[in-house]
Amino acid sequence: MTSGAANTASRHARFHWLNTVWPWLCAASVALSLLMLGALLALLLARGLGHFWPAALEEVTLRSGETLAGEAVREVALPQQAGTEQLYFTGNQDIEGVRWRWVAVEEIAERAQPDDLIRLERSPWGDFIGRLVAIEENDQRLEGDAAWQRLTTLLALPASQRQASDLLLTTVDGQPLRQPLANVISAQMPNAMAWWQKAHAWGEGVWRFLSEGPRAANTHGGVWPAIFGTVLMVILMSVIVTPFGVLAAIYLNEIAHQGRLTRLVRIGVRNLAGVPSIVYGVFGLGVFVYGIGGSLDEWFFSDTLPSPTFGTGGLLWASLTLALLTLPVVIVATEEGLARIPEAQREGAVALGATRLEMLTRIVLPMAAPAMLTGVILAIARAAGEVAPLMLVGVAKLAPQMPIDGEFPYLHLERKFMHLGYHLFDTAFHGEDVQAAIPQVYATALLLVLIVLVLNLTAIFLRHYLRRQRGNEC
Amino acid sequence: MTPPRLTSSRQPLRLLQDRVATGLITAGGVGVLLAILAIGIFLVWETLPLLAIGDTLALAKLSPLAWGTLKAALAALLFAIPVALGAAAYSAMFMSASLRARIKPALEMMEAIPGVVVGFIAGLILAPWVERHLASALLMIVWLPLSAALAGCLWQLAKTRLRRRLPLSWAGVWLVPWLALMVTIVLWLAPWIEQQWLGGDLRQLLDERFGMDYATRNALIVGIAMGFAVIPSIYSLAEDALADVPTTLIEGAQALGASRWQALWKVALAAAGPGVFSAVMIGAGRAVGETMIVLMASGNTALFSASPFEGMRSMAAAIAIELPEASPGGLTYHLLILAALVLFIFTFLVNTLAEVVRQRLRRRYRQMGGTS
Repeated sequence: MTSGAANTASRHARFHWLNTVWPWLCAASVALSLLMLGALLALLLARGLGHFWPAALEEVTLRSGETLAGEAVREVALPQQAGTEQLYFTGNQDIEGVRWRWVAVEEIAERAQPDDLIRLERSPWGDFIGRLVAIEENDQRLEGDAAWQRLTTLLALPASQRQASDLLLTTVDGQPLRQPLANVISAQMPNAMAWWQKAHAWGEGVWRFLSEGPRAANTHGGVWPAIFGTVLMVILMSVIVTPFGVLAAIYLNEIAHQGRLTRLVRIGVRNLAGVPSIVYGVFGLGVFVYGIGGSLDEWFFSDTLPSPTFGTGGLLWASLTLALLTLPVVIVATEEGLARIPEAQREGAVALGATRLEMLTRIVLPMAAPAMLTGVILAIARAAGEVAPLMLVGVAKLAPQMPIDGEFPYLHLERKFMHLGYHLFDTAFHGEDVQAAIPQVYATALLLVLIVLVLNLTAIFLRHYLRRQRGNEC
Repeated sequence: MTPPRLTSSRQPLRLLQDRVATGLITAGGVGVLLAILAIGIFLVWETLPLLAIGDTLALAKLSPLAWGTLKAALAALLFAIPVALGAAAYSAMFMSASLRARIKPALEMMEAIPGVVVGFIAGLILAPWVERHLASALLMIVWLPLSAALAGCLWQLAKTRLRRRLPLSWAGVWLVPWLALMVTIVLWLAPWIEQQWLGGDLRQLLDERFGMDYATRNALIVGIAMGFAVIPSIYSLAEDALADVPTTLIEGAQALGASRWQALWKVALAAAGPGVFSAVMIGAGRAVGETMIVLMASGNTALFSASPFEGMRSMAAAIAIELPEASPGGLTYHLLILAALVLFIFTFLVNTLAEVVRQRLRRRYRQMGGTS
């Protein structure tokens, strides 16, 4: 009896103890989610923006007497407590054949950051890290500081006005190199820069990233064609999806008989938002590309067959596929907006003698406009981040031509295009030198996340504003 | 009183316009719905030739993919369900209202982060890190929940003033630095523990003792990455279901002497059970269909292995990789479309079930006399 009582008492105590602990576990899951989200965003921000900040160059003397210069990338502990290794980006692929060096930390005798180390960005062979000896123009030869001054003034000019000249360079271990200026894109002396010079270089780097095309198998240069392709595809998609989505929502909410069938259709539409995007990609490939595109080729472009015109992935098919993918988003958001409009408004309009069309266009649609806008913005945000369906219907790792140019008919719907998300995937996973591409990938990822987050925030604020306004009216 | 502006001669025109517009809207609406229906029809139509072939080879090729899909989804849900439901329970029942208005959109924002970005972080940053620090990663999975419980116990023992400064209703925020501190402690302690008790290298130990291979991109990584992507959708729906439970029920339970947690566990969860279930279902649907994360974080090897340290290849990833290369009309083409059909039917059924359950739940709340 007593033991039983003690048992219930202890069980009660244990239950009580758990009672106090469970809420904390729940609170911790909120904290964990926030921590993960914050860590992800912080990582993207730090690495994506930090990539453009001119990194300090180190001159390292090893115990064996060898010297090397490069940017210290990271330090990694070896397994079995065997010390740590430091990874250096040394550049100079044309001289040394490799761009990366792992150096055991205990092998290092001396690390210094001399001011005269320069870093050249070149179009073939990638970066050069070393010293500038002289610059030769025609018969003139400048050395030392004058050479550096001359180099910076030359690089400030547009590429077409630069005089043909040669740079005489030397690596830190004394190997000479003659570098034609035509191949040099930019030059930096990062160790000698003040912070405001670095900030200026950072701004320039960000601008070049946003405005230039990719170089060196997408591992360097900018993402402008990818931004352009993404935006163009998304604009086309919203032009297609808005009228159809709104039409379907009006039909479902205003015209269709509100019965069991309509309810089923509504559930069906809602569920399509949960169907994996890759399924839409399969549909786009099978129906748009092979089906419609193949027939178009047979009818209108038979002279260029067997090389397909519309029978392969392209801008039009990608936009159509994404329009189908985002259709449920627009329909659901518009329907929500329509359902919020008080029935009295409609009845009032009809009672005053308006036809259904007049009631829709003058009363209902203006009131539902913010909801539609919210739906379209959400659709754009979803489409901008989708990659999987695009891999099937027309994205390219490197499109030779932009989809808009000066040639008739100016907008080339059949061309393949570049997309930020796919650019990210391709550079990160199919590049030759993934290590060199990672900073670029971080910057692309940050850009993509920013675009999507800004779009989503706009939609949230719009919806919030709308609800508050409606709340006042009612 | 204003005179009627419209003369009677314009009346037929208006009616005609109205009729034409109604017809157009109907045609457009039905057309859109038919286009949506066409997805299902197309997928079924393209898989019909497989019936004619009737090849058992087809199933042999698809089954590792199906296994990979299930494994990836299961790994993601194992991570996502506890975290998402815990977060939902906390923010519906314990969190202060002003904080909740901020935290909920922030967590829902997680859903908007594109899969490629999550996949890139998981595949290229997280995976190599976990490979080098496997012991730290595993220790963290065990230690973080324990440290939350520890925080709770410490809080019980703390002085009233401190308790008032750090109330439970704000714990979701002020536990963030606590957890960050715990992560640093784990990172600092783990190599020492590995050295002392696990013979220096956990991966080697796993290989020797249990014969487990370790692939860099494996189910553990996919679970964490895809869990991250699935948490917001489960959280958002489950939180809605819990927050919509009529307050009379919870207040009644508390008036009868139940603690806040007991009211949640015995009353709110019982009432909102179907809603929570449908949230989990929708999360499962997302996990099954997510393509880019699995593609980038799983190594894409079609294996039959239950080991959390080996990779897999899911159906969605296989479609994304192989379909552009498959010749239309070939066996692979039809097989991959069959995989797409399976995904389509699965997610559609799961979502329909979830939606029906949710609608029924909403009706039940209304009957209970909730004001929501």
